[in-house]
Amino acid sequence: MAIYDAYLTKLAEYVGGLRQKGRRVREIDCPSGVDKLLEGLPVKVGPGTNSDVILRSDTFVEMGNPDVGSSAFLFWTDSPALIADGRITLIGPDIPESPGASLPFGQVLIMAGAGLSEKDHQKLEHTQFVADQIEGYMIRSTSQLIWSRVSKEAAEKGFCFETLGRSLMAIFKSEVPEVEAMEILFVTSSREDLGPLDDIGAQVKKIYKSILVADWKARGFDAYVCSYGGDCKTCPDQPVCDEIKEVVKVRKQMISESEGPSDS
Amino acid sequence: MTTKKLRQYKYDPDTFNRYRQERDYFNFLSGILATMPDSMSQLSKEITDITVERYDQIVRCAEEGKPFVAGYFCAAPEIYEAMGLPWYMIMATPFLAASAPYLTEDIDAAEAMGLGTDWCTACRLSLYYIEAGLTPKPWALIGLIHPCDAGNMLHQAVARNKKWRDVPIFASDPPYFEDQRGIDYYAGELRRMVAFLEEHTGAKLDLDKLREVCRETNKQYEILSEYTQLRRAHPCPHGWGVGGPQAFAATQVFQTGRPRGTKWLQQLYADAEERVKNKTGPVPKERIRYFWFDLLPFGWVFELMPWLEQEWGAVLVMEMFGLQPYTPIDLRNEETIFKGLAKRNLYDSPMIRQARGPADYFASDIARVVKDYDIDLVIWPGHMGHKDGSASTGIMREICQELKVPYIHIGLDLFDKRYTTPEECKDKLSKFFSAMGLG
Repeated sequence: MAIYDAYLTKLAEYVGGLRQKGRRVREIDCPSGVDKLLEGLPVKVGPGTNSDVILRSDTFVEMGNPDVGSSAFLFWTDSPALIADGRITLIGPDIPESPGASLPFGQVLIMAGAGLSEKDHQKLEHTQFVADQIEGYMIRSTSQLIWSRVSKEAAEKGFCFETLGRSLMAIFKSEVPEVEAMEILFVTSSREDLGPLDDIGAQVKKIYKSILVADWKARGFDAYVCSYGGDCKTCPDQPVCDEIKEVVKVRKQMISESEGPSDS
Repeated sequence: MTTKKLRQYKYDPDTFNRYRQERDYFNFLSGILATMPDSMSQLSKEITDITVERYDQIVRCAEEGKPFVAGYFCAAPEIYEAMGLPWYMIMATPFLAASAPYLTEDIDAAEAMGLGTDWCTACRLSLYYIEAGLTPKPWALIGLIHPCDAGNMLHQAVARNKKWRDVPIFASDPPYFEDQRGIDYYAGELRRMVAFLEEHTGAKLDLDKLREVCRETNKQYEILSEYTQLRRAHPCPHGWGVGGPQAFAATQVFQTGRPRGTKWLQQLYADAEERVKNKTGPVPKERIRYFWFDLLPFGWVFELMPWLEQEWGAVLVMEMFGLQPYTPIDLRNEETIFKGLAKRNLYDSPMIRQARGPADYFASDIARVVKDYDIDLVIWPGHMGHKDGSASTGIMREICQELKVPYIHIGLDLFDKRYTTPEECKDKLSKFFSAMGLG
């Protein structure tokens, strides 16, 4: 059992809870292979397919503005049988149903692959920020949030959550070959509905942080705590700092000598 | 109930000459910019004029015996603004006036005073100005014990040295990790700061006024966030000459929560939007898009940055002070406002965000910027004072290798061009560009 498997259950309970509350829950099943995922999409997917910036005036719908709420996270399992590969679950209105809207946005990406491990998590995190890879879709460059825009042009072509989901699946499966299966949850129903999702996300992110600490440590870096507690006197590199100080002094002297006396 | 008598300093006309000189220097710059009709120069002129006005205000307060404080951009300037307290940064010279002609002379004078040359030049200069009586003595000082050891040392020295020993000093205690507990704790620290300021200046914080200021700052940060997206365009609409540093000065120093600052940001956005639509950038052909991950080399900025554009077609697409997450402050009640301020000032504020807590921010910011802004090259200048960042250079290099983007660590002093001269920097960068096949 992988470290995040318990969250599959929590997520299923969360979706079940919203279903019970009467929220409209749509499930879309997509094919598995990258080529099939991209087949028939209304927009292009791949590096450079989105043109730089989607201006506010060109925006059909905005999702995840901090004023209305955003909650996004990802996790993975090494048991592909635990997830429904290609499944997109949408709770709330779809993109074509929301012209001019600023929608609250929940996005949970679940990846599965027998070869997936802790060392892949950081790459998965980076991959979710798709930059210019989906035509007509821009994730704004602001940390901690998925705050995005769909252009009017893309919406006219038929861009919807199925488009976004299939594009994301294709990108993940192409960029991280260890990803064999992928499932996505989108929530746009209300800010209140994002609350419990945020709680699950906070726990998942806590685990990710500890993975990150271990990952950096394994690479020889202590990214979280100074091993010497900030006490330079106990740091073995202190002589280097002392030497640098001397070098600076000598350099300054050399420069002032080479420049000669000032005219002023 | 006893009413504490407020301390007032006697105005000495011979003190804070350097502060006045700085004001005059900015006035001089404004005069030059007035002769340049292009939109970028006019944007710079407005920021310069705003700067001069703040200097004038502080000088007036000192002369008339009215309260003013020394504070920091990352120590909730929204609060000083709401309290009606004029403020300035004791690190103002290195941050704002570093290109002033007397800078080298002052660095040498600081050294002659015995201040260590391995200490960040920005902090060293600030202590020198205080010890030499060149900067105005405030009614109260908001110090910092984060993000770096150098800043901490500056405030320890100020608190203990004779010159300003009678200036009450307060520093909020910053939590290390980023989580809700940290936000709650720091909100409490900001409340303590308010109590301190009220006690020592007589000014009072009115919640409605604070809400009004925060509402305006929300607008400002929203525009700034829109503006930073525009810098993703090819070509990037603006280079090093205008953008993040000036927007920082507007939002976090001189026009926090003021409509004039909001208007300036709108003008900045409009100018960039037009350039994006027309596909124009700062150079005829953009060949390298670089991320300068620090302050600009303000002490000698004119000797390096224009050369990068002219010689290599290298455009500064993003830098540390333009890279700000957007946290709108929830204005519902006092608690939500203080928590919003805590998050913004602790976790969003440039440089504080990266250098205060876990080193992972250096990696995660690079990863995001490289992808979003289509960066060809990451430059970590390696300022001699930013030891916290330089200690993370290995992490930054690793992440750049993963992202397959070249990374260069120069090793320089952002304020003292003698440390690594502009010519040496140019030589190092040129060799690196050639070796990497850039430009």
